[in-house]
Order: sequence, then C-alpha cells, then structure tokens
Amino acid sequence: MANITLTGVTKFYEAVQVIPPMDLHIEDGEFVVLVGPSGCGKSTTLRMIAGLEAATGGQMHIGEREVTHLRPGLRNCAMVFQSYALYPHMSVRENIGYGMKVRGVPKTEARTSIENAARILNLTEYLDRKPAALSGGQRQRVAIGRAIVRDPDVFLFDEPLSNLDAKLRVEMRVEIKQLHRRLKTTMVYVTHDQVEAMTMADRVVVLRKGVIEQAADPITLYERPANAFVAEFIGAPSMNMLDGRIERSDTGLRFAGATGLAFEIPPEHTVALSRSVGEDCILGIRPEHTVEAEGGIGVNVEVVDIEPLGPYTLLIGLMGDRKFTGQTRADTKTRPGDRVPIQFDPQKLHFFRAGDGAAIREDTA
Amino acid sequence: MSVRNLRGPRAWIAFALCCVWFAFTVFPLYWVAITSLKTPPDVVGGPTYLPFVDFQPTLKAWRELFSGIRGEFYSNFWSSAIVAVSSSFFATLLGAMAAYALVRFPFRVKLLSGVLFFVLAMGGFLAGRYWLGLPPATASILSFCGALALSVFANRLALPGKVMMNDDIVFWFVSQRLFPPIVVAFALFLLYTEIGKLGFKLTDTYLGLTLAYVAFSLPIVVWLMRDFISALPLEVEEAALVDNVPYWRIFFEIVLPMCRPGLIATFVITLAFTWNEFLFALFLTNSEWQTLPVLIAGQNSQRGDEWWAISAAALVAIVPMIVVAGLLGRLMRSGLLSGAVK
Repeated sequence: MANITLTGVTKFYEAVQVIPPMDLHIEDGEFVVLVGPSGCGKSTTLRMIAGLEAATGGQMHIGEREVTHLRPGLRNCAMVFQSYALYPHMSVRENIGYGMKVRGVPKTEARTSIENAARILNLTEYLDRKPAALSGGQRQRVAIGRAIVRDPDVFLFDEPLSNLDAKLRVEMRVEIKQLHRRLKTTMVYVTHDQVEAMTMADRVVVLRKGVIEQAADPITLYERPANAFVAEFIGAPSMNMLDGRIERSDTGLRFAGATGLAFEIPPEHTVALSRSVGEDCILGIRPEHTVEAEGGIGVNVEVVDIEPLGPYTLLIGLMGDRKFTGQTRADTKTRPGDRVPIQFDPQKLHFFRAGDGAAIREDTA
Repeated sequence: MSVRNLRGPRAWIAFALCCVWFAFTVFPLYWVAITSLKTPPDVVGGPTYLPFVDFQPTLKAWRELFSGIRGEFYSNFWSSAIVAVSSSFFATLLGAMAAYALVRFPFRVKLLSGVLFFVLAMGGFLAGRYWLGLPPATASILSFCGALALSVFANRLALPGKVMMNDDIVFWFVSQRLFPPIVVAFALFLLYTEIGKLGFKLTDTYLGLTLAYVAFSLPIVVWLMRDFISALPLEVEEAALVDNVPYWRIFFEIVLPMCRPGLIATFVITLAFTWNEFLFALFLTNSEWQTLPVLIAGQNSQRGDEWWAISAAALVAIVPMIVVAGLLGRLMRSGLLSGAVK
C-alpha cells in the first residue's frame, strides 16, 4: 500500500522529449487511469513507474521511498501487460508461483497464496494447464494472479484488456474493479479506451503529447472538461465542435457561428463569456444533449448516415463541410439525404477559446 | 499452387522427378553400405550393385573394423563422441549467453579502443619476446591480458572516432569464420605447442581439442541464437524483471526454455560440425584423442585404397548423426511460445 509521487519527471529518447516535466500524485489506494491517444506517453509513464524505462530527469517516490533509480524488482510493483507475458513453458500454478519460488517463499505458504489467487480469479480448475491451453481471458487472469501473489505496493496495468473481445472486456473490467475494492491497493491503469477509463477510475488522467491535460474524476471530466481536447476525447460519440465568435447584442451576448448558426447566449453563460467578447471561440455540444426538433438553439444538418443503437439513434450529418453528430429517438423517420433541424440543450453548451482550446467557464476564470 | 494439387500426367512427372532426386541423394549412402559388404575382388573387379545377385556379401570388413586391427577404432569413436558432444554443449551454452547479451543489452565499443587492443597486444608480445626475452607463450598471454584490461578501461574514456554497436560486434564474431580454417589450425598448433612448453599440455588432449572446437563453433552459434532470441517476446522477461527475478535466472529458467527448439537446432548443427571436423583434429591430436574422421582418412593410406574398410568405418561415422538428428528433430518443432503473448 503506497502513494506514488512524480516530481518533474521527464523522458527523452536520444534528443526527443516524449515526456515534458510531469508532476503527478496518486493517493494510497486510489485507482488512477492514464488515458490518451496513442503516442501520448501514457505507457511510457507507467513503464517509468515500473522501472522498465529510466526517467531522464525528475524524482519518483513510491510511499516514502525514492525509487527514481531503483531497478524494477526492488520497487515492489506488480505489472500486468497487454500481451499477458506469461511463461509459456510453465503451468498456471508455476506461472503464478514463480516469483514466490525465486523469492524463497516456503512451499506451503506459496501453495496457499496460489490457491487463494486462483480462487479469487476462478482459475482453480486450470492450475495444471499450460498457457497455450487457456483462452485469452483466462490468460489475462493468470497474469493478474501473478500480480496478486506478489502482494505489491502498487498494481500497474498496461492496456490489459486490449487483446480481449468486447464481451470479455466488460467482464474483466468488472473483475478488476472488484479486485481493487477487495485489495484496496493503489492501481495505475493505462488504456486508450475512454470508456474503460470512465468506468473504472477513481480519477482519470488525460494525457496528450506527454502533458497532463486534466486529472479529475470521470464525471468532472465529462461535465467540466478543462479544454477542447479533453471535451472531445471523453464521451462517445465525440462532442461536436462549432467555430464562431462572441459578440455583444442588445440584450446580452450572442454567438455568431461560422456556419450560419447564431443565437442569444443563455444568461447562465454570460458572466464567464463577457470576458471573451469579440474573440473567436468554439462551441461544444455533445450529441446526447441534442434532439431532432425545430426552434431554440440549434442547427440544420444534412443527414449522411443514421446509426440506430437501440435506445436511441445517432444522426451523422454535415454542416457545410463539418461533421455533426446529433441524437434522435429510436423510431425516427429520418433517412440519409434528409435535411433536419437539431436542437441543443441550452444548459449543456460548452465554450472554448479558439486559440488554446481552454474552457471558458466561471471556474476557469 | 502446390505439388499436392497436381493431377494427371503432371502429378506423375512430379513424382518421377522426386524419385530421381531421392535416388540421387540416397545412392551414395547405398553405395557405401554395399561396398562395406564386398570382398576386395568384388570391389576392384568393376561395379556391382545388388548383394546376393551381383556379388556375395561378407562381413569381413566389419569384423576387421571391430577387431581393432585397423587402428584404435573404439578409442577414436569415443574420442569423437566425447569431444563432439561436450564442445557442442559448451559452444551452444556460451553462444546462447553471448547472443542473449547482444540482443538485450546495447554495447558500445569504440573503434579506437579496439585499435589500442591490437597495438598493445602485438607490441606487448614483441616487447616481451625481444626486450625481456620471455618465451612466446608467456609473452603472448601476458600481453593479451594486459591489452584487454587496458582497452576495456580505455573504452570508458571519451575517445573520438567511430563507435561500434551490437550489429558490428555480431559481424566481428561471424567474420572469424570467413577466413580459411587452415590459417587458424597452423596458428593454434603453434600456440598449443608453445603453451605445452610451459608445462600445460594442450596438443592431443581433451581440453585442447574441445577448446578449439568451442572457439571455432561460437560464431555460428551466436549468429543462429541471436535470431532465435530476438524472436522472443520482451514482455515475458520484463514481467520477470518486475517480479525481481535476477538476470541469470531469467536467462536459464525463462529464456533458454522458451528458445528450446532453437537451442536444439543449433546444438545439432554444431554437433554435425564437430563430429565431422577433420583439419583441427589432424593438427591438434595424434594418438590419445584422435577422432573418427582422422581414422577414416587414414584407412586410405595405410595399406592402399581399401574401400571396403573405408566404407565400413564411414558408415559407423554416419549412423550416430542420423540417430541424433532423428531423436532431436522431434524436439525442434516450433509452437513452444504459444500462450506467452496474445
């Protein structure tokens, strides 16, 4: 059990900087998910915590110990890899128990630990099989079992579910969360899948090009994204982004969109936006906060595709040359080629500065 | 398009060609086998092909072979077997270690420190020989050890010039097999004789021949094992590293078992080389540790061309390799890695 502190940690490959100085504090027992598009440095960060990559600069602490230059084996982390990384010539029992054998744990004690881990992970009947005779999900459970018996300070997961099929992924997601509740050990989990990040994390750290864009709990990320990148990355389908400008009007402020969209800005946004009068900005609206209806704040789109998802249907439309995704009722009669009005929920509008993408809200003043 | 899909006359043509090739490869073996069963008049009196039809087979050559009147057959057989198996074993083990290091760890050897090694070793040898009057073996051992220590130290300094990486080192390993073995055999014989003068006998000893074979097999072992090891998934070793498994255990308990097919293939190839090797054995041994190929070659000169005796001895030399290849070939199958990743 331990917290993790990264202080100004950097990583260079030759002369290329992949992680600019990064500060991150992970609380004892917290489940933190590092998420971001590929190449954002999330795996590198995790591997630096594990000690598999050396940090070029900065300091790293696990609990009270400084571990910056400690070799991986001495950091008391357990790591689960995307590719499972099982020992193919050993049975499940040997795979789980190998670390204990190396550490010289007495045999009876090791057996108890292995059987305990196997019971937690439903692997008891497979203990004498080789990894080749297991399914993907079982293999990943063996890898997790290997991590559990380590009784580590920190669990590190490097995209552990990416190789599993969709159904299994959902099941394993629940199992890992249950494991966290049971063990209450600090867990750091890397994924590129924002659904995985949202559903599992106590706190999600969104990374882009090695920079932490926002670190917050899932609901905050969704409702109060720090910038346009986080807003677009979190949520599926992605938030719609419409270019425009804030102007002063007779009664308050109005948004003048580049694509002919223009409306009076609802009063709850005017305080924050009054500082940006005359500036270019981006309007963000999530598809789930739109309806197919006339009137109010909204746009007209030309529907190019419809995606019936059961509870509701997505309208993939075009506004000029920009894609716009709206949501409508499952029984919609709209077909590709139609031109339909989309109405926005005025409570759910997001505004971002056009220059740096930072959110314009009262709390970001 | 596979040969298996051929139908009609084409299939028969393919079959016929395969038969021709089969006969082509098997005939020498057959010829040696029947020649070993012939009497001297049958051998010299023109070609005969079928036992009991063309000629009356006899076991005379075999009886002579095993009775020992044609040289110390048993002794040579066991020398061959012991030297070949042990040198292949050590070459495969050491070569696998070297290959693992070359695949997993980056090495940086500065060209200048390599040049320094060469200059110091040669200069030290000459200086020891002519200024200090040391015997050649003493001079070379001292100068090589000194040069090695100094150049390893020099490599840590900020030397200018080209830096050689792992690929260069592998090429350097393999390049040792590019020049004719006779060059090495001469040099090795001289070196062994000189070391012998210091009271440490290497010529015609187990140690001398095995050392030479290990050294000469290493390049090919490193070359082969490097490919096998670089095909192993790195994450498996990383998982062990995170679990605080020391490197030597990772190598022996995880890496070696994972590349077992490669190890066995390499061992068999090395064994074929050491079992069949003639030149080094001819130079470095004479009676006690003489190997089978030298004995077989000797049959040719002792009492003229006695092909029946040569054939019997040659068959004895061939059979163990066929047995080894047959037994170990089963273990060479791939698929051992399945289940490790993905």
